[in-house]
Amino acid sequence: MTFSFPRFCRHLLFFSRREQLERELAEEIEFHRAQKQDDRAMGNITLAKEESRDVWSFLSIENLWQDLKYAARMLRRSPGFTALAAISLALGIGGNAAMFSLVNALLIRPLPYFQPERLVGITSAYPKAGLALFQQESRTMEVASVSADSEFNLTGAGEAVRLMGSVTSANLFSLLGTPVEMGRAFEPGEDRPGRDALVILSHSLWKTKFYGDPRVIGRMITLNGVNRLVVGVMPAAFSFPSPRVELWVPARVDPSNVQEYFAYDFVPLIARLRGGATIAQAQGEVRAMTAQLYSMFPWVMPRNWNMDSRVISLQEYIVGDVRRKLLILLSCVGIVLLVACTNVASLLLARATARRKEMALRAALGAGRFRIVRQLLTESVLLAGSGAALGLLLAVAALSVFRSVLPHDLPGVANVTIDGNVAAFVAGLALVTGLAFGIAPALSASQIDLNQTIRGGGQRSARSFWVQFRGWLIAAEVALTVVLLVAAGLLTRSMRALVETNPGFNAEHVLTVRIAPNQSFCNDRGRCIALYDDLLRRARGIPEVADVAVANTVPLDGEFAGIPVDVENHIKTADFLPMLWAGAISADYIKLMRIHVLAGRGFTESDGANSAPVVLISASTARRFWPGESAVGKHVKPTWDDQWRTIVGVVSDVRQYDLTNRTPDWITGAMYMPYAQSVQIDHQFPAAMDLVVRTAAGADVTRVAQEIRGLAVDENPNVPVSVVEPMDSIVSGSVSGFRATMGVLLSFAMTALLLAAIGTYGLVSHSVAQRSYEIGVRIALGASKPSIVGLILGQSLRFVAGGVVAGVGAAVVFARFLSSLLYGVGATDPVTFAGVILFLFGIAAIASSAPALKAARMDPLKSLRMD
Amino acid sequence: MGTKQKAIEILPGTLDLLILRTLLAEPRHGYGIAQRLRQVSGDVLQVGESSLYPALQRLLLNGWVKAEWGASDNNRRARYYTLTPAGRKQLASERNEFSRMIGAIQKVLETA
Repeated sequence: MTFSFPRFCRHLLFFSRREQLERELAEEIEFHRAQKQDDRAMGNITLAKEESRDVWSFLSIENLWQDLKYAARMLRRSPGFTALAAISLALGIGGNAAMFSLVNALLIRPLPYFQPERLVGITSAYPKAGLALFQQESRTMEVASVSADSEFNLTGAGEAVRLMGSVTSANLFSLLGTPVEMGRAFEPGEDRPGRDALVILSHSLWKTKFYGDPRVIGRMITLNGVNRLVVGVMPAAFSFPSPRVELWVPARVDPSNVQEYFAYDFVPLIARLRGGATIAQAQGEVRAMTAQLYSMFPWVMPRNWNMDSRVISLQEYIVGDVRRKLLILLSCVGIVLLVACTNVASLLLARATARRKEMALRAALGAGRFRIVRQLLTESVLLAGSGAALGLLLAVAALSVFRSVLPHDLPGVANVTIDGNVAAFVAGLALVTGLAFGIAPALSASQIDLNQTIRGGGQRSARSFWVQFRGWLIAAEVALTVVLLVAAGLLTRSMRALVETNPGFNAEHVLTVRIAPNQSFCNDRGRCIALYDDLLRRARGIPEVADVAVANTVPLDGEFAGIPVDVENHIKTADFLPMLWAGAISADYIKLMRIHVLAGRGFTESDGANSAPVVLISASTARRFWPGESAVGKHVKPTWDDQWRTIVGVVSDVRQYDLTNRTPDWITGAMYMPYAQSVQIDHQFPAAMDLVVRTAAGADVTRVAQEIRGLAVDENPNVPVSVVEPMDSIVSGSVSGFRATMGVLLSFAMTALLLAAIGTYGLVSHSVAQRSYEIGVRIALGASKPSIVGLILGQSLRFVAGGVVAGVGAAVVFARFLSSLLYGVGATDPVTFAGVILFLFGIAAIASSAPALKAARMDPLKSLRMD
Repeated sequence: MGTKQKAIEILPGTLDLLILRTLLAEPRHGYGIAQRLRQVSGDVLQVGESSLYPALQRLLLNGWVKAEWGASDNNRRARYYTLTPAGRKQLASERNEFSRMIGAIQKVLETA
């Protein structure tokens, strides 16, 4: 019908006067009926009234309101059902909302930089020579370098502190397009030697250490013993490359210092694509430039070095491995929602059967099928809506749990919140789920055979299609639950394997504290050695301290200590460039950590600065270089040294890098040097060390920790001292992300399992209720109780079995995506699969046995007299 | 009641047209309209309240008829419907349309 304004005005008028119109109509029809008193009633008065009303009312809105009111009344009338359904949905929707807000913040929402779609990252790290070459040669990109985890001692502003900073090329800020909050950014050329003594502060550092004083701009501060001029402060929201970074200093790009230019720290590169350039073009260029750089190195580099480096969007680059984990968790929480929907659909189907009389009555009074379906869909959407509201509350709580799954230093994680986008997502989800789980029950309820239902025979007639359908819903629920249980099971087994793994050291009763003098302090090697000798001596004097040692890295602490070495009688080629993890330790470290000396000897106090240079190597390193013969007496040396160092002992392997033993593939092995003889990759003497203490059993750990830190601060107040960390907590901290992932998955699986159990219970009790007549007949004819229980259980377990088979198939596929998260267990681990299957059948049997037993105890007389 | 012609459903869409036609001569109340349709069609067209009153509301809404309360033959309050000028125009055009359609249908039935 075309729109006409006068008609619309009349419509409004009618609408506003509908009460009067109603009275008039009633009177008119009354008159009509009086007139044809002797005729049989010809029409349906109610229908006449209802449809006339439809003409003058704004149908859609009024009906919707009516439907909503009615739906709310119906839901209130059965609070148990409503609560169960709403809570099921809240679990599904809440989990999804929380996970979606993470996915939205990390994978979807554009990065908070200028034209973020043109920002890219290069997946491999390059030396400064690479930065210079790329900046000079690239036609498709403007390239910047940005290190993530450089540490700086800030002295001269309160107690000396160790800060996380980033060393960047001068163009970082202009490349990202983020303006400074105060002062200025670095200018071109300020990453060249002589002009680089500058620093930009983070907002939080400026607030905490400099009390938000704007006069900090132009002030000199001392970082690692070097004076730097503060030129700017970044805004609070700026957290690149990581929220832990508190300051930025310019990289020193100095081609005249060959070692620093081609070796030392390799840095990550990011870039902005120039106008018109594509990622594919940039990728081609990176390949060509890497090959060019390869030929420029003054020494041999590994074959195919960095040839696998890729250009990817900066967003993908920042999120890294987390992307996969997030997507896995998102699909798992999606499965939970599916299970919840299926469950509610199944509950609604049961309810639809129970409400058939009500529907038949409505149909008899003239309601069309469409109207009934719409009414029922309104009910299910309302249900989903209340589930969503509840879910939103749940999401706030779930978010903080899910966040613990992610690395805490990932930019953007800290300020993930449940925002408007998420609320809109939830609203959409509620509508879709409401329609999805409501449609089948609504259709089933609207399929009414008036006569049969009202006469009451309908209760007994086997409406087999919908019963079957409900069975398949439960099967689907079971299948999805199997997938989640398998995922959670595999992760739990991995976690167990991880915890039970022998890390090669004993963390019990071990405390560590990091002491980090400036590198310049250790330019005088003697001064540095004296500092640590003094600390060791004083720490030994603390009561209840059993052993003390120092080491440049303790296992799993995130420090990284690889150096390139020459190995006696092993010629270096592009395919063999050994790099060893180089521990610098005091004599007692091996004993303190309970590392075993397998051959030769450990270090002693006499392995000092001036005695013959010696090393220990790990068992796997010894096997690798000298298979079948003793490594003791052989020699290795740092590549740049002239003097060979003698291997005096072989010690057991330690999982230094992480518990899963996934050391980077270019690390060939591990060695230890006596502290006084040690050297690190920049050819300098290691300055920052961990003081490691083993307390006596039963010691007051808190007090010992306080005393250790106290004496370290007292030894030299200009040296930053970290908090004391028990080795135990370093170990458990290294798997906390994994543990959190496992916990989240486990909670998903348990939720799904609970829902599936409720669903199975509902299905069985419903089918018992429906078949009560038949069961009554069977009992009357002499069927035994066990045979009745068997009958009922058999029926429900058939569906469960179908679901399990489908679920196992799906789980095999799904577990393949998990394999990157697994440790010590295969993706198709038979123990996990068998356990899950047994467990699920057990739960299903328990859930079905209550109604089955009830069926067996049924009094046949009662059930036969029913209806 | 004698032999009663079997009532048939009124063709969809034609009820409005028929109602307008019964009002052409004089205003009638609802029952009067139903009676008239029955009489004229020889008991073939029987319209129930459930179709009649919604149709009348529709016509009112479209402005094709007016309604006024008056007294019926037996002195009861009844609501009389009158054709408006717009209704007259609508009747004419729909009637034309309808004749053309019936003609066309007839042709098809006889020749095809």
